[in-house]
Amino acid sequence: MKSRHHAVALAAKYLVILFLFAFLLFPVYWMLVTSLKTNVESYRIIPSLWPEKVSAGGYQTLFQDGKFLVYYGNNLIVSALAALLICLISIMSGYALSRFHFRWNVLLLATFSFSQMMPVISRLISLYGILRRLGMTDTRLGLVLAISATQVPFSATLMASFFDGIPRDLEEAAWTDGCGRMKTLLRIIMPLVVPGILAVGIYSFLMTWDDYLHAVTLVRSPALWTLSQGLKLTYLGEVSDWQLINSASILGALPMIFVFFFFQKYMVKGLVAGAVKG
Amino acid sequence: MPTPFLSKETVIMRSASSSSSRRFPVLRSSRKRQDLLFCLCLLLPAVVLCTAFILIPIIDSVVMSFTNYKLVNLTKNRPGEWNDFANYTRLWKAGKLQSAILITGQFVFWTVSLTFLVSMTLALILNTDPPGARFLRSVMMIPWVIPTVITGLLWAWIYANPYGLVQYLVHLFSGGRITDFGMLNGKGTALWGIILAGLWKQVPLMTLLLLAGMQNVPEDIMEAARIDGADYFTRLIHILIPYMRSVIAVSVSMCIIENFKQYPLFATLTNGGPVGATTTLAVLSYDEAFVNNNYGSGAAVTTVWLLVMIAAVAVFRLIFQRNKGETA
Repeated sequence: MKSRHHAVALAAKYLVILFLFAFLLFPVYWMLVTSLKTNVESYRIIPSLWPEKVSAGGYQTLFQDGKFLVYYGNNLIVSALAALLICLISIMSGYALSRFHFRWNVLLLATFSFSQMMPVISRLISLYGILRRLGMTDTRLGLVLAISATQVPFSATLMASFFDGIPRDLEEAAWTDGCGRMKTLLRIIMPLVVPGILAVGIYSFLMTWDDYLHAVTLVRSPALWTLSQGLKLTYLGEVSDWQLINSASILGALPMIFVFFFFQKYMVKGLVAGAVKG
Repeated sequence: MPTPFLSKETVIMRSASSSSSRRFPVLRSSRKRQDLLFCLCLLLPAVVLCTAFILIPIIDSVVMSFTNYKLVNLTKNRPGEWNDFANYTRLWKAGKLQSAILITGQFVFWTVSLTFLVSMTLALILNTDPPGARFLRSVMMIPWVIPTVITGLLWAWIYANPYGLVQYLVHLFSGGRITDFGMLNGKGTALWGIILAGLWKQVPLMTLLLLAGMQNVPEDIMEAARIDGADYFTRLIHILIPYMRSVIAVSVSMCIIENFKQYPLFATLTNGGPVGATTTLAVLSYDEAFVNNNYGSGAAVTTVWLLVMIAAVAVFRLIFQRNKGETA
């Protein structure tokens, strides 16, 4: 009786896991399959699980239409620059937050976490005006700075939690050996937090790659559009070419999937540290 | 009183050679001052960036919400005229504000509750180490890394009417009675379409965080309770969840904020339609500001949005705190 009860529980467990993973992964599979089907095949009443005739027409169009690659390149440039900037700034401020406990650090942390909560649109309305006055709307610089600012609060606190794990004795030893503050940070402490830097960098890259709102409000000229913006504004229309859209989606999602799997160890550690401490 | 950098060393120095430190009091204070200076320099870029791009814009937009600020003000660089609560009252009288608050509330409540329930289930199962758990844990994260706009496009295709997968499934399971089902075209179902897409994107991260939180639950207490005859759900509610309190609080608060801020999914899936059925505060503020070019009005919506969001997080924390009192 007891073992039968156990067997039912076990079966239920696997059924639930099967269902949930189907929910999480089938849409990704569906995106891939649709990108390889001709539209004629996609628009059938009864969908086919695997394309009868594999067609790479969507990918071909994307590589040849002269727009997709521009958006893609723009997004790479913007995300990479933003990730670098975020890393640099959060190493500096994270170290300061971790090591120097002055009274107003608490205030700064509170401001950080408050500003992290703010809806992007609430800032964008006036940010658009401010950047316009500075002549920075419709430039990459303006976009990179705006995107970086949104990630800095979280990244700085995350970085601080990595610095917290490094014993202070190291600095004291360096100080008695006559090593200056800047040199201590660069030569002794930074090499020890490389996993943290990677976590912050990759997380920032993922988050800035995801940006849609900043780009869509701050950048108007199509030559500077990023991927999310370009996908939404160019390819999603009244009559959508679903093979094309799904091909573009696959290409837009692939780098993120690769980056994640490659750096998974650092990412997961960082995210968990950020959430558990923050 | 927090101690500044390297103060431990200064203390040691003072106690070891108190005579020398009395002779050179300047040495200690100058080092502390230099610490302060160094710290300030390190913090400067972050402070400047966040002030210029976050704090000033937020304050500016709250001020702007009490003014008549349109496209002319922007192009001519003219400050808006103060009009008290005109933006708010106009939006309220048109019924836009109430409906947006209601829809946002529905969206956030359902997305967060469902995300929590599904993630908790998944995390509990994965925590029992089924075969392939390591592999499952990593492929599980795929929806999370897919950009939000692409998530929107993907679900737009799944919901597409005609040709979409959901339409086919509905057709199949209704035994062919329902032949024309557009998830995003119906007033009643459109919001659920977005909730489902949001759920898909957010379950992985929440599961990951909850799984990490489960590592802190002491195995022996769970085991002792099992031997004492506590059934699975009793153990879950009285041991596991109390131990995971802080992780749950953080991940659910994050989820609440994330969903309050959600805009790209709405932009790609419905754009606020049909007939305003999915016009949340995010969509309303964007449309007021960047479609109607009425920036003052858009700012008024975001100010309300901010207040509602802070209230929601506070209410969640309050409920959570009270429950803590009961279980403790």
